[in-house]
Amino acid sequence: MPHRWGMAVDLDRCTGCEACVVACHAENNIKTVGDAQAARGRAMHWIRVERYWDGEFPDVRLKFRPVLCQQCDAAPCEPVCPTFASHHTDEGLNAQIYNRCIGTRYCANACPYNVRFFNFFNPTWEKPLHLQLNPDVSVREVGVMEKCTFCIQRIKATEQQVEAENRSLKDGELKPACVQSCAPMALVFGDLNDPESQVSRLSRSGRGERLLEDVGTQPKVVYLKHQAQA
Amino acid sequence: MDRRGFIKLTAITGTSATLASCGSPENQLIRFIPDEDLTPGIAEQKPGVCPLCGAGCGTTVRVMQGDTEVVRNGQAGVVTVGLAKKLEGNPTHPVNQGALCPRGQAAIQVTYHPERITQPHKWRGARGSGDFQPITWDEAIGELVSHLDTLALGKQASLACWTRPGASTRHDLFALFLARFGAPPPTSFALFSDDVLRRANLMSFGREQLPTFDLGSSRYVIAFGADFLGTWNSPVAQSAAYGRMRQGRPGIRGAFVQVEPRMSLTGASADEWVPIRPGTEGVLALGLAHVILRDKLRPADAGGRAGALIDGWSRGLADYTPAAVEQRTGVKAVRVERLARELAEQRPSVAIIGGAPLAQTNGLFQALAVNALNALLGSVDTAGGVSFMPQAEPAAATSPAPRPLRVVAAGILADRSPVQVLLLDNVNPVFATPQEWHVRDAVLKVPFVVSFGNFVDDTSVLAHLILPDHSFLESWTDARPEAGAHVALATLAGPAMKPLHQTRATPDVLLDVAKRLKQPFKPEFPWQSFDQMLQATVGEDNFATATAQGWVELKGKVQQAQAAPSRSQAAPARDAQFDGDPAQYPFYLLPFASQAFLDGSLAHLPWLQEMPDPLSTAMWSTWVEVNPQTAARLGIGDGDIVEIASGHGNLQAPAVLSPGTAPDVIAMPVGQGHETFTRYASGRGANPVKLLAPALEPETGALAWASTRVKVSRVASPDGRLIRFGGSMTEPTAHR
Amino acid sequence: MTKADRNITEDLLRPLLTTSWRFYALVLVLFSIVLLGVGSFGYQVYNGIGVWGLNWPVFWAFDITNFVFWIGISHAGTLISAILRLVNAGWRRPVTRCAEVITAFALMIGAMFPIVHLGRPWLFFWLMPYPSEREIWPNFRSPLVWDFFAISTYLTGSLLFLYLPTIPDFALVRDKTTGFRSKVYGALALGWRGTTRQWHRLESAMQIMAIAIIPVAVSVHTIVSFDFSMAPVPMWHSTIFGPYFVAGAIFSGIAALIIAMAALRKFLHLEQYLHPVHFENLGKLLLMMCLLWGYFVFAERLTTWYGNEASEMAVFWATQQQNFAPLYWTMITCNFIIPLTILSFKKLRTISGCVVASCTVVVGMWLERFLIIVPSLSHKYLPYSWGSYRPRTPEVLLLIATFGAMGLLYTLFSKFVPIISIWELKVGEQPELTEPHETPDEAATLWRTHP
Ligand SMILES: Nc1nc2c(c(=O)[nH]1)N[C@H]1C(S)=C(S)[C@@H](COP(=O)(O)OP(=O)(O)OC[C@H]3O[C@@H](n4cnc5c(=O)[nH]c(N)nc54)[C@H](O)[C@@H]3O)O[C@H]1N2
Ligand SMILES: Nc1nc2c(c(=O)[nH]1)N[C@H]1C(S)=C(S)[C@@H](COP(=O)(O)OP(=O)(O)OC[C@H]3O[C@@H](n4cnc5c(=O)[nH]c(N)nc54)[C@H](O)[C@@H]3O)O[C@H]1N2
Ligand code: SF4
Ligand code: SF4
Ligand code: SF4
Ligand code: SF4
Ligand code: SF4
Repeated sequence: MPHRWGMAVDLDRCTGCEACVVACHAENNIKTVGDAQAARGRAMHWIRVERYWDGEFPDVRLKFRPVLCQQCDAAPCEPVCPTFASHHTDEGLNAQIYNRCIGTRYCANACPYNVRFFNFFNPTWEKPLHLQLNPDVSVREVGVMEKCTFCIQRIKATEQQVEAENRSLKDGELKPACVQSCAPMALVFGDLNDPESQVSRLSRSGRGERLLEDVGTQPKVVYLKHQAQA
Repeated sequence: MDRRGFIKLTAITGTSATLASCGSPENQLIRFIPDEDLTPGIAEQKPGVCPLCGAGCGTTVRVMQGDTEVVRNGQAGVVTVGLAKKLEGNPTHPVNQGALCPRGQAAIQVTYHPERITQPHKWRGARGSGDFQPITWDEAIGELVSHLDTLALGKQASLACWTRPGASTRHDLFALFLARFGAPPPTSFALFSDDVLRRANLMSFGREQLPTFDLGSSRYVIAFGADFLGTWNSPVAQSAAYGRMRQGRPGIRGAFVQVEPRMSLTGASADEWVPIRPGTEGVLALGLAHVILRDKLRPADAGGRAGALIDGWSRGLADYTPAAVEQRTGVKAVRVERLARELAEQRPSVAIIGGAPLAQTNGLFQALAVNALNALLGSVDTAGGVSFMPQAEPAAATSPAPRPLRVVAAGILADRSPVQVLLLDNVNPVFATPQEWHVRDAVLKVPFVVSFGNFVDDTSVLAHLILPDHSFLESWTDARPEAGAHVALATLAGPAMKPLHQTRATPDVLLDVAKRLKQPFKPEFPWQSFDQMLQATVGEDNFATATAQGWVELKGKVQQAQAAPSRSQAAPARDAQFDGDPAQYPFYLLPFASQAFLDGSLAHLPWLQEMPDPLSTAMWSTWVEVNPQTAARLGIGDGDIVEIASGHGNLQAPAVLSPGTAPDVIAMPVGQGHETFTRYASGRGANPVKLLAPALEPETGALAWASTRVKVSRVASPDGRLIRFGGSMTEPTAHR
Repeated sequence: MTKADRNITEDLLRPLLTTSWRFYALVLVLFSIVLLGVGSFGYQVYNGIGVWGLNWPVFWAFDITNFVFWIGISHAGTLISAILRLVNAGWRRPVTRCAEVITAFALMIGAMFPIVHLGRPWLFFWLMPYPSEREIWPNFRSPLVWDFFAISTYLTGSLLFLYLPTIPDFALVRDKTTGFRSKVYGALALGWRGTTRQWHRLESAMQIMAIAIIPVAVSVHTIVSFDFSMAPVPMWHSTIFGPYFVAGAIFSGIAALIIAMAALRKFLHLEQYLHPVHFENLGKLLLMMCLLWGYFVFAERLTTWYGNEASEMAVFWATQQQNFAPLYWTMITCNFIIPLTILSFKKLRTISGCVVASCTVVVGMWLERFLIIVPSLSHKYLPYSWGSYRPRTPEVLLLIATFGAMGLLYTLFSKFVPIISIWELKVGEQPELTEPHETPDEAATLWRTHP
């Protein structure tokens, strides 16, 4: 059976620290756009930590919610792409072929979660920052759409290693960069086809809900609600 | 493609278009498209040490082969070398348990920073102009040696070293080096130092160190101003424990209350957020203790030594009735009663104090109050409570005590203790001290200033000589965390990659200099290189373990609790004093450590500049948090430029209307506002430290950085200075 | 050969045969404007599309607004002329060609934007099905690929529809000119001699095209609307979008036609042929479309408001009351209040009245497209990801250049082709000759108009 990768985000554990945000930059060669471009709304954060204020002083609350590509089973970003650059893989991932993308940005408009980011300019790395670039991840050129891949390079590497060692994958063995960096373990990644995996068990939790589920995207990321104090 | 293939494909295409609604036949089409066809490179994992704060987290460094341009002896060329690609938390490390904070994630950019100093430099032109001239290592070390040779040995004052807090063998070496000149040990300086808490812990518990919290077993946590999930103490360890407290135990979810006048990253996660008048946190802690004692929820003698230090403890803290507490703190009496009951009943419970409450003129009293509350709750050295991590004995004797930076600077300026040579080790006090300390003038007055840092910052720009260190990934590094785990340990690692530039490891430079002095040390240092010193310090076996796994438990070297102080040494219950007339300066200024830059020492890392602040979502900019009602009263709109003025300085910055900031508080992150700190940080934003009154916590002499009052006025409309990632502040729920 | 016929021929061929300095000046000005647009595009390709004001999450703005707007304008021509031909409205005769030309050029301009707006425009051909040696096909589920088919079909049809009734006029010009010009027009006339067989063929071809082009035109703007309504974006994902877009397209198309006709009338001195009654009739049509458009907007807004779906209400209030409200109410004024006021009164339905109303409608319809795209994208679901948009110079230049291009193409066309169908006008002047003549001689007297 092919894997079906999914993620659980425990909002009761997430502290909003943003380690996942920087970890994703470090792993996935996401460019730093700089202040001028950031001011124009071109900053790229494949995973972002949304924060919402609720109430007024002194009865004020604040909620954090990490949002990354939800790897929708019915992904609106896929059918609209004229070149198949945004497509579905056998493992249920929403994958992006940068070479095929011609930059219509239609997928980004169609994505209800606004998790797709566009290369408005060619990326630059001031030397020697380029030496940090991860050789397992393509650098995206101008005019190309990009987004969270569930760290596909790590998935492939681990799958290949598992195959070479002729064994099956252990739950928790494979961690995307954001998951690996999350100290309170708010992010859990794994195989939804394995009913015993931690992510499967958490997906069945009563606290679980899916973001914008009513849009019909069938996301594979499940959010475990912040638990109110008993 | 032949005609047949064409027809076949047309057929597939047509069919797939028809069938599009049933299944995904288009996937059959795209098998012709090259997938992101990657062959993963071969990576090697090496242990490392995160150097960015005192928490001393262990890392794993992913190293892969790559080509780099190098210049060696004036010859340029391309070589294939192992390059660090990514830092992860070391999964075996007892402190950070496999995770890193966002700053730790970005630490790798220190190594690859485009403005790292690549070779020794010598000052030229006006001091502070940033005009440096490259020189060779021989010249550079020769220069340092010749200046050290002129020092009158044994004259305490003539050599000084400023460094950052945090125990390490590197620190020990500096201390030994200075001791040979008869100088006091290096002065550790950090704006957000926790010296007040260390002193309080010494008094209450006999342990002069930061506390470790076993949150994973706690049922109830109350924190006073401590940003323990973001920037304070050992944030990764604490966040990991926090996750377990919330959802790590079947059926049990720990409750968490945060007491602070401005909602911090940590406060945002609290079940209950209790705003409080600044400087009265200790009063609330004692109010809670009062209720517990009054209702006999816990035995009074549980307060033990920590309780005994508090005036009136034995009389049941009669001055701290809920009504009195409400009067002084602004926290409702019923709430005090309820919180006290919850604390006493939902045990194990623990109280945490850190940050601004300690940076008041009554900081020590506040810390002692919370310590006493913990003792009363029976939460000291117990599961789910507060404890102290065993510590290895320092290699170097710490007598005489190090002199505070403020005192050294004042001494220089008053010609009382003229420093001839000042060594700067990765510390930037010119940025992080109040203007009235005149640290910049003091540094300018020192005849010879040497900086070992990797970057030219507000302080090292004043240096005469720059001897750039290797980055932490290129050299032997170690740290001895003082909190965050339950065993004494050293985080220790060898170089993960070859040096990129013509830099040298600072400890090796010190060892080299020691040998080249006109009058070499007697006895000379027994180590040829720093790794030998590390090996000798931790022991042969430990060293092998450490180099393999990145850390080692230091057994049998546990620091013993120290004797109890006498009652008279305790801090009297005292109200916090604020600088500035409330009529003229109606707001409390609350500077806070930025999640991205801590005290500003990381503002040069582009990833952290572009990381949205978790609350304001600001990138590449600074801001001032103003309560929306206050803003409305003052005619300040979101993003408007405001002027903040204290009796000591003024600055302009964009306003962020923040519902989590009390109406009488103006909060501002520390971190931006560097004059000199690489292209990413220089001239960006404003530095609230320059508003601070030079007020001190009287018992410890620590800077009371939260005790300044300010006034605020709107000066201009939004001008694009504030760059935010997030859109709406709120999420509308229902419309009907 | 009546005197009237001779006048028609002379008046309508005058622009082709004589050239004043004003023509050169106008062409120069328009050409410079177009050049600005080309330069702006070059700048954008060289630097990256970041030179525009687009951002996260507003990934479309002026680009797709221009696209939808110009495709909408294109509905003036072919659709109106086809309907008028089918119902055989006599007053159509001087109007049809002006209208059909608008279609052809507006489509060309509009169709450029799906290419111009690409992040990597040099790969535009990946939108098309072509026999790639990698056996890669476009994704036929993507509305952008549907656009490609719809627009290319419409463009082909419209060009044919424009060309067919121009053949007799080309023949006329061929016969009126000598040398090289005569040869070129001769080629374009496809050997037209005005025989009965040729007339019959032309008539039936026109009939077929008029019938065929109507569903094509309707489908084109429906498909353009699918670019939006197929995506689950608040206030895009709406069943009303197909007819709403078509109505809007015809609305803006008629407005464009009125403006073009007024300009021709003035600059080419065609007062004799384009009468106030033509404007009055088109004005009535415009009024009808204005009411229809208003009805669609009302229906769309009311159902959204009543449905009260949170994500849609965010967009709704953004346009109705918040940051986009000034633009929204300008649009309502331009598209509804002003045209309704002017066109409802016979006294105001003069040529200048119609032109004023048309100008506001053109502005209003451009705003309408902008307001469909940008507020939805900037207020899409999760409020943390909301954003805003401000255009920057390169995209403003591109917008201006599209009008320049329209003007330039129109000017050149009316320089080289009779902008009013000469033969249709003549047939209109002599109703008894509506039917083609039996003998070639009779036809010859009609069409061979040697002085
Ligand atoms: N030094 C060195 N040179 C080598 C090799 C080597 O090992 N070392 N390997 C050789 C080998 S084995 C190979 S196969 C070649 C590979 O060389 P290339 O064939 O040049 O391979 P790519 O770099 O994948 O470039 C393919 C291009 O196709 C574009 N593309 C993607 N989808 C489509 C599409 O649908 N239509 C069109 N028209 N273009 C599309 C991409 O944007 C990209 O620009 O390199 C050869 N050259
Ligand atoms: N990440 C990434 N992966 C890719 C591609 C890509 O562009 N990027 N391209 C894909 C493509 S198009 C291709 S063709 C494949 C190529 O993939 P491979 O076929 O794996 O190609 P190489 O790695 O170039 O060479 C294979 C080995 O052959 C050895 N070799 C060289 N000469 C000889 C010889 O005479 N005899 C023998 N026995 N061995 C020899 C080389 O030393 C090398 O170890 O990679 C595919 N995978
Ligand atoms: S790293 Fe984990 S805790 Fe921190 S913001 Fe991301 S998901 Fe939340
Ligand atoms: S979240 Fe957005 S980008 Fe990711 S699969 Fe769903 S629609 Fe596509
Ligand atoms: S931007 Fe790229 S991935 Fe997105 S729809 Fe267009 S071609 Fe496809
Ligand atoms: S799964 Fe990987 S690509 Fe996706 S957000 Fe996490 S780190 Fe980024
Ligand atoms: S807390 Fe963060 S910055 Fe400090 S040592 Fe740990 S990872 Fe590094």
